[in-house]
Amino acid sequence: MTSGGAGGTVRRELSADQRREAFAQEALPFLDQIYSAALRYTRNPADAEDLTQETFAKAFAAFHQFRPGTNLRAWLYRILTNTYINAYRKEQRQPAEVSADAHQPGREDGSSDFSLYDRVAEATSAPAEVEVLRHLTDDEVKDALAQLPDTFRMAVYLADVEGFSYAEIADIMGTPVGTVMSRLHRGRRSLHKALYDYAVRRGLLPSPDDRSDRVQEASDDG
Amino acid sequence: MDDVCGEVLRELQVYLDGECSGPLGDVIRAHLGDCPPCIDRVDFEREVRVLIASRCRDSAPTDLVQRIMGSLRFGTGA
Repeated sequence: MTSGGAGGTVRRELSADQRREAFAQEALPFLDQIYSAALRYTRNPADAEDLTQETFAKAFAAFHQFRPGTNLRAWLYRILTNTYINAYRKEQRQPAEVSADAHQPGREDGSSDFSLYDRVAEATSAPAEVEVLRHLTDDEVKDALAQLPDTFRMAVYLADVEGFSYAEIADIMGTPVGTVMSRLHRGRRSLHKALYDYAVRRGLLPSPDDRSDRVQEASDDG
Repeated sequence: MDDVCGEVLRELQVYLDGECSGPLGDVIRAHLGDCPPCIDRVDFEREVRVLIASRCRDSAPTDLVQRIMGSLRFGTGA
């Protein structure tokens, strides 16, 4: 694919009908993805619907500025993320992202040196198998993600679910690449800790507190 | 665990993100050719990512889709 020709022009020359048609064909296929992200951002179906609708309204209004041939998906995510940061986070009166980024890694959830691999390996057998985590339900995995602070949750979602590059996430979130990396690093560690906690609560992995007891019981039985 | 294993552990997420280019990326790739413990770790992390990605998707409710398509059709934005 070349980047020249029609690919480089903005769409001011399209008629209103043509613009609507182009938007429907090119942007609407991303509706499920944008709604999924909106639901992970807002953690609430009603807000997610409003955010999705607002995102598509803004995208349609600005569609003449979108350059065909550039990344429409990333462009839609940028609008979604801006809209969320500007409207919904203010409404919820969430702590400013500065404070989320400033807190010491893992101080609140004890995840500063957490390794999911090591925990699963010591609880099951080495090498650690991911099989035990597959027993978690979709809702449990979504809830684990929902527990992360806003900016960490968004970065992890954009990277791990949507597969955006660091540069794309930096552009979407309006932050330097270094900030994206730090949010990803800490966000993933907290997410892994939350997944581990769910697995322990469900009895899929032994609790660290009673592991020695279980070993004792097992040897008593044997 | 040798020094390279420690380096792989530190850079694992960046490596799996496909953002570890240059000499360090080459060192990690080469190391993963012949270090079973590191290979286990990388495989595990990769599978955890697949698990998370596959569980966090939802479909837009039908009435939302219709609402957005409808507003587009009548020219009131989306």
